[in-house]
Amino acid sequence: MRIPILKLKDCLLVSIQWELDDQTALQFQEDLLKKIHETNARGVVIDITSIDFIDSFIAKVLGDVINMSRLMGAKVVITGIQPAVAITLVELGIRLDDVMTALDLEKGLEKLQQELGD
Amino acid sequence: MHNEVIAHIKSRKSELIEKWIDRVKEDADERMVNVVSEQVFQGTSYEFFDLILLSLSEKDHEYKNKLQMFSEKVVRLGWPITFVVSGLRKFIHLVHDDLIEQGVVSKEREGEYLESLDEWLAPLSNEIIHTYASTWEKTVSLQKIALQELSAPLIPVVEHISIMPLVGTIDTERARLIMENLLDGVVSHRAEVVLIDITGVPVVDTMVAHHVIQAAEAVHLVGARCMLVGIRPEIAQTIVNLGIDLNKFITTSTLRKGMEKALEMTNRKIVELEGVN
Amino acid sequence: MEIQSCVTILNEWDIVAARQLGRNVAKELGFGTVDQARITTAISELARNIYLYAGQGQLCIDRLNEQGKTGLRIIAIDEGPGIPDIRKVMEDGFSTSGGLGAGLPGVRRLMDDFNIDSNPGEGTDIRATKWLR
Repeated sequence: MRIPILKLKDCLLVSIQWELDDQTALQFQEDLLKKIHETNARGVVIDITSIDFIDSFIAKVLGDVINMSRLMGAKVVITGIQPAVAITLVELGIRLDDVMTALDLEKGLEKLQQELGD
Repeated sequence: MHNEVIAHIKSRKSELIEKWIDRVKEDADERMVNVVSEQVFQGTSYEFFDLILLSLSEKDHEYKNKLQMFSEKVVRLGWPITFVVSGLRKFIHLVHDDLIEQGVVSKEREGEYLESLDEWLAPLSNEIIHTYASTWEKTVSLQKIALQELSAPLIPVVEHISIMPLVGTIDTERARLIMENLLDGVVSHRAEVVLIDITGVPVVDTMVAHHVIQAAEAVHLVGARCMLVGIRPEIAQTIVNLGIDLNKFITTSTLRKGMEKALEMTNRKIVELEGVN
Repeated sequence: MEIQSCVTILNEWDIVAARQLGRNVAKELGFGTVDQARITTAISELARNIYLYAGQGQLCIDRLNEQGKTGLRIIAIDEGPGIPDIRKVMEDGFSTSGGLGAGLPGVRRLMDDFNIDSNPGEGTDIRATKWLR
């Protein structure tokens, strides 16, 4: 199953709705980068409100995709990280310090707009 | 043997009670006697005495009720358990001595009497100890709940800004609770900036700092910003001396400064109104 | 009293099966959402270790009831190459797979008790327990 990636003006919107298995996560990485290349998107919002846990593998895939997107000139905001997920990530020792985050999709888009300066 | 002793105690009640009160008072903490008025002290002693008599005369139901009421009363008066139990022991010895003095018991059988008196009163002292213990247990568990309740409230002061004042010592268990309350609160209040106020935390060691840093990282993940306020001079000193790195944080010395900064971060400020009476 | 359920780890899909099993048991035992996330994540890390390093193994979930305490124990067993230097893999940031290196020390932080037993050439046995508060 592929994660749908939507385009909104110069941004891409992704909402991950179900538990990620390794294949889906890697497939998503590939799809997103391809889409950034196709659309010349300047920003990406990834909403993970429905995800109830993140292990080090998924965290790595997410971290990688953020860095790769940045290389391609797109800024990424992660939104909707659940409290339980945030606590687990911190305890697991995973740092996502320089990742932009926001409470929800709406705030994520606002933040992106600010960052992109319009 | 029972009846004999009971009859003796009853007939010598007033003498025994007076002697007993004298002996007990020798032992009593001065502070305790001062707190409790002479009247209450006398009254309670009489009650205790009656209770002992009742326990000897086997009126089971009435005795149990009274015993419970009495135990609860002593606990409420705040008399130390050692005092009450030693009072009971003194009573045994007093009655025993009196029995011999009055010639009710012969020298040869005195050991026997002492033993059976002891046996009689064992359930009584057990019950009193039990009441004390269960009162303590109840208090401890109530305090635990109370402590948890005031452990970590997150207060939404103005739109987008919440404050969590921390008071008292932070252990691992509390740190977990703080973290969970903090994050749930941030999400449900839709806070953009959270101020953690550590004015009331007496000691900030590496463990506390570690928990606070973790909390701040988690707050960042859910999409808000975290500020550490209420850093007293001695806390600033310990933090630096311990080599704890809080550079990634925005920190201020007082809640007020923190609040101003938080407003600034959410593009607002406090304005004084002019010309309004 | 122990009731055990197991998942055999052979491929990536079994990792998903293992964590679903773990999450269901955690929910059933009454763990809160944060502890459910901790347990699920720990299972995912351990199951992935089996898949990556041993190729195959077993991941079992025990429901514990000891002295009035309820708990959940994750047991990850494989007969893979084993771990030559346990101390090293328990260090933060050590990784041989190009991952984040958060794996085992991370699992230890997520759970209450953690025990690892491994001999090179014989396999690895990891047990991690979470107690219901």
